[in-house]
Amino acid sequence: MAIRELKVCLLGDTGVGKSSIVCRFVQDHFDHNISPTIGASFLTKTVPSGNELHKFLIWDTAGQERFHSLAPMYYRGSAAAVIVYDITKLDSFQTLKKWVKELKEHGPEDIVVAIAGNKNDLGDIREVPMKEAKEFAESIAAIFIETSARNAVNVEELFQKISKQIPPLENPEVDSNDSFKLTRQPAPSTRRCC
Amino acid sequence: MLGLDSFNIDSVVIHTISIFFSGVCLQSPCSLLFEPVTLQPCLPSEFDVVILGTGLAESVVAAAFSRVGQRVLHVDRRSYYAANWASFTFNGLLTWIQQHHEESQPEEAQDWSSLLEEGEELIYLSNSKSESDSISNVQVFSFTSEEEEEEEAPSPDPPSIAEEQTGGAEEDAVKENSETESADSKEDDTKEKSEATADGDDEEQASQTEGEEPEADQPTTSAAQSQSEPIKKKISYPQLLKEGRRFNIDLVSKLMYSRGSLVDLLIKSNVSRYAEFKNVTRILTYRHGKVQQVPCSRADVFASRQLSVVEKRKLMRFLTSCMEETEEQQAYNGRPYLEFLCDQQLGDNLQDFLLHSIAMVTEDTPTEEGLTSTRHFLRCLGRYGNTPFLFPVYGLGEIPQCFCRMCAVFGGIYCLRHSVNCLVMDKETNRCKAVIDSRGQRISCSHFVVEEGYVGADRKQMATPTRSLSRAVLITDGSILPSDSDQQVSMVTVPPIAAGCPAVKMVELCSSTMTCMPGTYLVHLTCQSVGSAYEDLSPVVTRMFHTPESHDQENCPSVLWCLYFNMADGSGLEAEGHNLPSNVYMCSGPDGGLGHEHAIKQAESIFQKILPEEDFCPPAPNPEDIIYDGDNTSSAMGGEEEEKEETEDKQEKEEKEDKQEEKEETEDKQEEEEKDGAGEMEKEEEQTLQTEE
Ligand SMILES: Cc1cc2nc3c(=O)[nH]c(=O)nc-3n(C[C@H](O)[C@H](O)[C@H](O)COP(=O)(O)OP(=O)(O)OC[C@H]3O[C@@H](n4cnc5c(N)ncnc54)[C@H](O)[C@@H]3O)c2cc1C
Ligand SMILES: Nc1nc2c(ncn2[C@@H]2O[C@H](COP(=O)(O)OP(=O)(O)OP(=O)(O)O)[C@@H](O)[C@H]2O)c(=O)[nH]1
Ligand SMILES: [Mg+2]
Repeated sequence: MAIRELKVCLLGDTGVGKSSIVCRFVQDHFDHNISPTIGASFLTKTVPSGNELHKFLIWDTAGQERFHSLAPMYYRGSAAAVIVYDITKLDSFQTLKKWVKELKEHGPEDIVVAIAGNKNDLGDIREVPMKEAKEFAESIAAIFIETSARNAVNVEELFQKISKQIPPLENPEVDSNDSFKLTRQPAPSTRRCC
Repeated sequence: MLGLDSFNIDSVVIHTISIFFSGVCLQSPCSLLFEPVTLQPCLPSEFDVVILGTGLAESVVAAAFSRVGQRVLHVDRRSYYAANWASFTFNGLLTWIQQHHEESQPEEAQDWSSLLEEGEELIYLSNSKSESDSISNVQVFSFTSEEEEEEEAPSPDPPSIAEEQTGGAEEDAVKENSETESADSKEDDTKEKSEATADGDDEEQASQTEGEEPEADQPTTSAAQSQSEPIKKKISYPQLLKEGRRFNIDLVSKLMYSRGSLVDLLIKSNVSRYAEFKNVTRILTYRHGKVQQVPCSRADVFASRQLSVVEKRKLMRFLTSCMEETEEQQAYNGRPYLEFLCDQQLGDNLQDFLLHSIAMVTEDTPTEEGLTSTRHFLRCLGRYGNTPFLFPVYGLGEIPQCFCRMCAVFGGIYCLRHSVNCLVMDKETNRCKAVIDSRGQRISCSHFVVEEGYVGADRKQMATPTRSLSRAVLITDGSILPSDSDQQVSMVTVPPIAAGCPAVKMVELCSSTMTCMPGTYLVHLTCQSVGSAYEDLSPVVTRMFHTPESHDQENCPSVLWCLYFNMADGSGLEAEGHNLPSNVYMCSGPDGGLGHEHAIKQAESIFQKILPEEDFCPPAPNPEDIIYDGDNTSSAMGGEEEEKEETEDKQEKEEKEDKQEEKEETEDKQEEEEKDGAGEMEKEEEQTLQTEE
């Protein structure tokens, strides 16, 4: 099966549970005292999708969003963006709308947008009604799901939904773009025979 | 008319103001007036290193410190990353242009002495002037039509000349550029200019015909004709605006040497994984009024139709022999490289290629320097592609951001639209103890690194006379040398077109570099300034492209839009001797070199002065290498999360491979590789030459 690397970036207010969602998805683990994101450039997890394997490269903001200083390179080339809000914080839902607008303005054109209402284990102190969020997601043709990183609810499903929305590669032979990553080994094409 | 709404203005910045405070940023996208209403948590009040400015050198320094566990605060007064190394969308660039025509508000000198303790003194930094100091002579011309064209109405006329109304930018440009003619109206101004250039042009063309073409069959002309047959749809100004986000227009124009210090550092540090690159696919030069491809690899030499068999043999022999230092070469030390080349009896053709396009030096460059750059060029061939150069997808502005991300990933704190107003100096030790930020917070630090633009001229030690770079940016509708593929990335060397004129370096980018919209090319021109950017570069533009000022250039690509400006040359900044506390380090802005050696060297030397024992940018762990099992956690990542199960066999395998690669790397693999590369080439050439004989 062909492996396709897909960059997914996480957006949302600080403290909504972005890192917790990745941690749950990649490591199936939840930590109450998770420190604000440091140390991980991105984490990876591979999931099957149709007759492809999707290797998600999940980028966390590295805290640059805290002072509104996220670098544009953060969502360059992203196949999908997960915008997370906290269902117990109305503010975080307001910010989400701004993120959506930002992505539409400056993000990649065909990016798949998923909205995740996190912390749905805290239903008793909910501030954002599910219906409202769902309607908003529909209005922008985004994936919508409520998750709980704490109780492992809907985190897998979130990424499955994203996987399904990623259009299959039309012609796997033709790599649309001959750009490449710099690696320790010279790119294979440059190896000269003789 | 331009629809410069708040979003266009901030297209460079990610979410930030365009989203959060769109009302405010419309007026002052990049000014200190802008006070975010809810700047979230307060900044910590103690750091190891505070860095002001997000240019390349500062960003590398930030990554290096953060990576070895230093607490880094990295701020920039601007609303975007990368300072004078930034890249902009089309609309973002228009805003940048506008900002350089606005009077900078006089800084209100606030008195922070209340924050001082016994024995301390304030050093004020300059915050509003920094950019106007480094950028000057901004001029914009638009040769597109103002109206959206009807799609099926091809017209044989050249594109109509529409003087740009960039929110008054053009008028300002004329005003600012007081060195050229002063004109009452914009239209007069354009006419005058085109006449002036036309005159000069005729003269130069006459002299051109004297130089003879060595070979008649030019693939260029036929290709150009066949390409221009399908009627091109003209791109209108509204289209440029609408597709504006597809542009990533760099303020600097450089390339990455495939074995240069930037590429090595990107690989060594693993910062390379944040970006993708493309090969520069060909080296071109402009000779005798024509654009020609420079054969530089062995394959090119043999494929070349411009060179005779004898020339090919001579060229191969020269390229092989110059890799080694010989006594013959040493005899030329201190004498011009041109003289050395002359004495090799290579002929004009090869001599020009070698001097201008391979060594990329001038006629009076000393031989040893010429040979060094020739060797560097040759060593860089074949590592990734058939030319020595790479270019980052989305533009060079990505590179500083990649280093900033590495810094953030290891805990560095980022704050745009935030500055440092003054330094708190301990009078006794002559050291900077703390800084006072633009919100009046006192933040203590052990070291302070600053972009030169923030330091007043009275405290700086500059090389005199101050040098500057002339830059032009063109959006064109075709390649200067059409070929089978319309997605070529070309480095073009333009030798001085007349005595006293500067040699111009030109880079033509295609849309797959993600720096311009499909159907267009982005062309960067750079040279050491002799006059203003317009004076230095417009003669080259007029000859090589079709503009309303050019004649008989129907086969050349048309310029749709162009920008000229001068930028201070960062290599003029002295490394030492500034009137600053001993733990304050200055980083210079972009230099005129083609590569990035200057900035990287500067960053490394700052790091080593402060932490001589520490490794400079050691590799960050690969995502697959991070195994969280209690004890190891801290060593791998600075310790937070927990256990990670190996999800797949595949990952494990990759991990092993990566590790192996790393090991190789540590054992001076770099050097070996280089030797190998050179050796391989020599061997090949030897073989070739033998066969030939
Ligand atoms: C005008 C001309 C002069 C030549 N002079 C010599 C010579 O003096 N000595 C010599 O050894 N070889 C010469 N060749 C090429 C020669 O025919 C061999 O192909 C060459 O030695 C390459 O060997 P290789 O097996 O390594 O080829 P490869 O590694 O397969 O080819 C290397 C590259 O060389 C180029 N190339 C190879 N053959 C040709 C060809 N016939 N025409 C154009 N480009 C080609 C190709 O672009 C190819 O990418 C010449 C070719 C031309 C056109
Ligand atoms: N109850 C509950 N708490 C959660 C959930 N997800 C995350 N949290 C908690 O919310 C807090 C913030 O989570 P993070 O994952 O660090 O949030 P973040 O969005 O990555 O924050 P930054 O990295 O600062 O931007 C932590 O204390 C988590 O334990 C959830 O599903 N339910
Ligand atoms: Mg986080």
